[in-house]
Amino acid sequence: MSRLDAFLKGWSFRSSTPEFEPGQEIAAFVTGRDGRGQVARIGDTILHLDTGDGNGGEDLLDTRVRLRIEDFDANDHTGRATVLERLGEGSF
Amino acid sequence: MSADSDDMVGESSETEMDAELEAAERARSGEQIEFYGGKWMSALPLFVFVVWAIFQSGVLGIGDTTGLVIAMLVGLIIGMLFVKGDWENYANTIFEGMTRRVAATAVVAWLWAGMFANTLQAGGFVDGLVWAADALSIGATLFPAATFLLAALLATGIGTGYGTAVTFVTLFFPVGVLLGASPVLTFGAILSGAVFGDNLAPVSDTTIVSAVTQDSDIGGVVASRFKYAIIAAIPALALYVLAGGTMGSPFAVGGNAQTLLVENSQPLGLVHLLSIGVVIGTAVQGRHIVEAISWGLIVTIVLSLLLGLASASAVLVFQAPQSSGIAQSLSVLPIVEVVPRADAAIGGSLYDGAVGFFPLIVLTLLIVAGAQIMIRGGAFDTLQDWLLGSFATSLRRAELTMVFGTAGVNAMITINTAAEIAIGPYIARMGERFNINGYRRANILDANTSALGYIFPWGGGVLAGYAAMLTLPGEYEWFTQAMIVNPAQVWPFVFQGWLLFFVFIVAAATGFGLEYTSDREAKEVARV
Repeated sequence: MSRLDAFLKGWSFRSSTPEFEPGQEIAAFVTGRDGRGQVARIGDTILHLDTGDGNGGEDLLDTRVRLRIEDFDANDHTGRATVLERLGEGSF
Repeated sequence: MSADSDDMVGESSETEMDAELEAAERARSGEQIEFYGGKWMSALPLFVFVVWAIFQSGVLGIGDTTGLVIAMLVGLIIGMLFVKGDWENYANTIFEGMTRRVAATAVVAWLWAGMFANTLQAGGFVDGLVWAADALSIGATLFPAATFLLAALLATGIGTGYGTAVTFVTLFFPVGVLLGASPVLTFGAILSGAVFGDNLAPVSDTTIVSAVTQDSDIGGVVASRFKYAIIAAIPALALYVLAGGTMGSPFAVGGNAQTLLVENSQPLGLVHLLSIGVVIGTAVQGRHIVEAISWGLIVTIVLSLLLGLASASAVLVFQAPQSSGIAQSLSVLPIVEVVPRADAAIGGSLYDGAVGFFPLIVLTLLIVAGAQIMIRGGAFDTLQDWLLGSFATSLRRAELTMVFGTAGVNAMITINTAAEIAIGPYIARMGERFNINGYRRANILDANTSALGYIFPWGGGVLAGYAAMLTLPGEYEWFTQAMIVNPAQVWPFVFQGWLLFFVFIVAAATGFGLEYTSDREAKEVARV
């Protein structure tokens, strides 16, 4: 990123429910669980996670992971994503 | 001592070392600490610290950071008395907290920032700003607005709002009074400039803590923060122009303000705008903050020496005792001085700048240790769950909770860096639960930290400026006690502070400037 770009980023009003495209890869924190398994909440958008082994997998709470969006419902602001790899832990 | 016994000592210390490493490993592996009285008791060390800090800084008005070090030490001892079973795990958790990367990176960045800030001042940057004020030949009406701009420039360069408040009250405040500018408005403008720089400067202690606790690089934080700072600063400047036109001074001293400016003026000092530009430019470009500040420091020293703005001994000096023969012969060097034995010391801006941060460094290590105890004892999660369950139930509410949470803590603990370190972990965890980008979290954390410490009458920045003001009647014959601005009067006029606070309430409520972790990755801590 150039020096100027860094200053110009974020001059906008951002929705509390960000949208994603199927196939898109993102990095995000795993933020909790609901009845269906682990989720990554991004703003007020909920991504249900497929952690690989079908049983909800190891507890990834507060871990930063790389995700691939499998499908996304823009009306509900929910989607399904596959965990590709662990990237790191939260700050504390 | 024989070789044999040497070996024995070596072996036993190795075993001790192994045992210690094992114990530390147990602490790291997340063994919980149990307290008499339940999980909440693990918050006791930090609770003692907060109560002490409020009593010391808020009630008694004592801005002594070393006092807070003792607060944390006493807190850690009191907390230990309530630990069930073996105290070893508790003790090891203190080490675990102190050796966290977040503490180490802040320490390194502060040492560098301290050296840079002091060397910038030794190189006459302030004299350059004084010259600019004189060259612009501003009258009473525009004086507060110009003071705001110049103070903001100094604070952005040296990163310390307290230092800016003291310097500007000493040099600019008397000039304003002589010119007939409103004293209370001028003091407010000085504090506003301090807020601006404390918030934005890459070498500011609060900027560094905000970036480090949110796992983000300092250059990226500064660039992303610029928008909020400038949105607050433009109306603040307009307000100083407007208020400057309507608020007069009750004092007619009739002295010559220009004489006062010329005494301290040195146009060449402004070359250090280049030094500041080097730090900001390289940091924003993504260079490591240690590299960025090192370049700035080298440029500052070279410019100062080449242009004769500072002597080599102002940057670094070895003051050796007369009795040392070698010192006598080395005293031809510009950085060696011979002094009476009792005065032997090291001095200069590098030394003063780094040493100035020592109390804050020790305090930070201990606060992070206290936070680690709270995490291992379970109170951190309990408080976090309560916040997330009761207040931060949606993104907007979470951001508003972060804004008002930092504001509340900073209103009480007015040594603002200490307040910021204490609340940093909560902002990190709460923000991560909504995948709010580290830059955004750092910005929310630092805005109130920078703003509120300069607004309330008990704020550290206000008191630092006020203390400097108390010396003015002794300095100038014409300066009367009545010209001193009471800290309780200045709060409505710290426009940058108030506007920055409001900008963040609006930003949290509307999503202005909001970014998610999925938008872009803040660079790793290694690139802080």
